[in-house]
Amino acid sequence: MEPIKKQADRKTLIYSVLWAFVYMGCLIVLKKAELSKSAGILLSFVPTVFFVLFIYHYIRSISTMDEVERRIQLEATVWGFSLGLLLLMTLGLLDLVVVLKKEDWSFINLIPMFFLFYVIGIFISRRKYNGA
Amino acid sequence: MKNSIKVERAKKNWTQEDLAGKIGISRQSINSIETGRFIPSTVLALKMAKVFGTDVETIFQLEKTD
Repeated sequence: MEPIKKQADRKTLIYSVLWAFVYMGCLIVLKKAELSKSAGILLSFVPTVFFVLFIYHYIRSISTMDEVERRIQLEATVWGFSLGLLLLMTLGLLDLVVVLKKEDWSFINLIPMFFLFYVIGIFISRRKYNGA
Repeated sequence: MKNSIKVERAKKNWTQEDLAGKIGISRQSINSIETGRFIPSTVLALKMAKVFGTDVETIFQLEKTD
């Protein structure tokens, strides 16, 4: 049981790093290189393949977790999703009354916040169940 | 819901790690259940009763507030 879990965790880590590198690579190329519009659009979808692989392995690793760990992941995801939704709703409403600077509030800048919200969720739910 | 996992472990002289290994969950999860922060599923409660050689009602008891 334990080797299967370790193997699933290792694969999740590998694919998350792979996806992060591909995403960062595409981001840098799209920002720096002068590509044609069609090449740029095509490159924008390249990280999707790696993200799907990462999510597939992440879900598989969740299936190897015990029920307490699954609850922690579930609550962390709920926190991450809720805070992300709250951020988008608030920005949407603010956008109606004030002009938000694109360089501060572009999609690219919002992405790390979603990861931060998930990490906050993990921290809260781990404290709740593990008391750590 | 209260439980007597700690007592049952003491009877067997098992650590949380030992019990976790026997039922295939993490030590942290045993700690969560033992301290009442997480109520286990029926399957896990039955597994626990099996390794302790007792019944579920001996390990888990309902409280008046449940």
